[in-house]
Amino acid sequence: MVGWTGYFLRVNLTSKTWKKEAFSEEFAHKWVGGRGFAVKILFDEVRPGIDPLGPENKFIVALGPIAGIPAPNTGKAVVAAISPLTGFYGDGNLGTRVAEHLRKAGYDALIVEGKADHPTMLYIEDDKVEFLPADEVWGQGTYACNDWIYAKYGKGVGVLNIGQGGENMARFAVVRSLEGRAGGRPGVGAVMGSKLLKAVVVKGSRPIPQADPAAMKALGSGDLRKVGQIDKQSGWSIQSTTGVLPFCNEVAGLPVRNFRKTSHPDAWKVDGERCNNARVATYGCPTCTMRCGITVLDDEGRESELDYENVALLGPNLEIFDLPKVASLNYLCDEYGLDTMSAGCVLSFYADAIDHGATSGDFRFGDAKRAKELLGLAARREGPLGNLLADGSLRMARAFGHNSEAYAMQVKGLEVAAYNCKFIPGQALAFGVAAIGAHHREAWIITFEIKHTTRESYGPEKAAKVIELQRIRGGMFEFLVSCRFPWIENGWPLDNYPKYFNTVTGLDWSLDDMWRVADRIYAMIKLHYLRQFPQADRTGDYPPRVWFDPSNADTEGPIAGKFLEEDKYDGMLQHYYDQRGYDRRGIPTKATLLALGLAEEAAAVEKVAVLT
Amino acid sequence: MRLGPDMKIQIKIIGPLMYAAGFSEKEMDVPAGTTVDGLTVLIGIPKERPRIVTRNGAAVSPDGALAEGDKIAVSPIYSGG
Repeated sequence: MVGWTGYFLRVNLTSKTWKKEAFSEEFAHKWVGGRGFAVKILFDEVRPGIDPLGPENKFIVALGPIAGIPAPNTGKAVVAAISPLTGFYGDGNLGTRVAEHLRKAGYDALIVEGKADHPTMLYIEDDKVEFLPADEVWGQGTYACNDWIYAKYGKGVGVLNIGQGGENMARFAVVRSLEGRAGGRPGVGAVMGSKLLKAVVVKGSRPIPQADPAAMKALGSGDLRKVGQIDKQSGWSIQSTTGVLPFCNEVAGLPVRNFRKTSHPDAWKVDGERCNNARVATYGCPTCTMRCGITVLDDEGRESELDYENVALLGPNLEIFDLPKVASLNYLCDEYGLDTMSAGCVLSFYADAIDHGATSGDFRFGDAKRAKELLGLAARREGPLGNLLADGSLRMARAFGHNSEAYAMQVKGLEVAAYNCKFIPGQALAFGVAAIGAHHREAWIITFEIKHTTRESYGPEKAAKVIELQRIRGGMFEFLVSCRFPWIENGWPLDNYPKYFNTVTGLDWSLDDMWRVADRIYAMIKLHYLRQFPQADRTGDYPPRVWFDPSNADTEGPIAGKFLEEDKYDGMLQHYYDQRGYDRRGIPTKATLLALGLAEEAAAVEKVAVLT
Repeated sequence: MRLGPDMKIQIKIIGPLMYAAGFSEKEMDVPAGTTVDGLTVLIGIPKERPRIVTRNGAAVSPDGALAEGDKIAVSPIYSGG
């Protein structure tokens, strides 16, 4: 086996022991890496029904065969665990030097088990693993923790850490890496916190095994330069993802006031042009030549790194149109280690629930000062309100009652990313069937819907497009592990990725081989879901119910009077299931599972749930 | 093609295309009969730049004719980050 280190590092925090564990070539070829490794390890090793915030859960950092190798844009890692937010498999990716260092230390994944008896930092350097006290930074935010680590080890090491949100097990706490961003929206940071694991620091010094290192170096370095040149020509990173805000505003797809409205006349105040004009620095992940992080100063003079989702959900969605104030909310999320998207949806839901009389409180849309305080309460789980907010919008809605679950903007418990699908049926489907809950990472088809089909359509072409993008975005990029931006934003051809994979592994895979692995991973996540929720039905793949509500329709603008029609959505969902080979519950059929090589996993699930 | 007297439209340029056009938003007089493609040429966005053009929030085809009072937005093809 070439192209993989061939080893996992398994660490037990309870016993303070570790071992280097070999995996087989068959395993490597079947699951490849990243999301593939994480989904399989968690399926095999974590029994259903455990408390995701208990010691039986496992925290995984998983890399793929091209992770950490100089090529576009490979400085990324997948972090995963059983989610305390959704109750089943959850993951995310983030830019980090851990990608390169963990592989150079000789591992393709890190599996963390058990629970430490005091705040701990895990230090990994090649064949050395140390369990070091982190009491000094426990209670501090991610920036201070990162400074503390850099002061000890220098800036070149790989770091993953958590803030107060993770420590206090806010269910939407993320894992942070200051060399990149944040990852693990469904509470992977809370799982680290539950283990009293404040940080992971990695330093590796060995070459990453490759079939043809010289060829890969020439290919990867040259392609990195080319991607940088293409980006200069397109100008994409001038505004990066924040450029999409005025587009969403124009086509009635922006989340405003807890997604009640789809555009706002003041949206331009926080758009990509304004973000770029306010830029004081640019941030990027390792191995990237199209750096996308626009850093601006917040209303307290602190540097805050923005992207579209953060701005939209902490800005217009809360009816806050003052960029430094939005940047301040974003800074606090990053400092506390809270997911900015869920945080925006949790706060907007709270304001909406107060508006609709489902609960009482002193928070109103537009109140940035109180929003800041609420983020602090959630991160510290301070008082009943802090505890409530820290549990995420679905649990809040169940506590409030009064039918408020209809406008808790989440799917399967994970809050909706910043695209308002009040009348964008295909993207609503993309959120509905996103593997881990309403994440935009896996499929985004809004331009396709608006430009190449009619917005009114609920046809099979939209289901097909969602699957096509899931295979690429939620599949290949997540198991190889690499950033999707060169392809999606600058048109870097997809067939480069099998080329990188083959140069590293010596194999001869095509894109079709990649899609097969992607389909296997999607089926496995569904098996995780069914095993955890044996009574699961297709309603789990529905978007927030408020999008089906005629009384919620816009009263003016391009989609005035329009809303998602439930029976038509259900028909489109069925197209998706049919094309995927899933049954009417949205679960892969036995025949599909067998065709994907998942007989053993199907048998395991059949002990607790029905397969058809 | 013979074009008629001027009409007023509002135009918004989104994302990096605004740096090619040299502005982000303005009201413009264009000859009646101007098409969507004709407009993008008029404002200096190279034809080969991938884009989506919307009129009053809905996509419009390249050969679609503009009308008085149209609110046009020209955006790169975003892919949702």
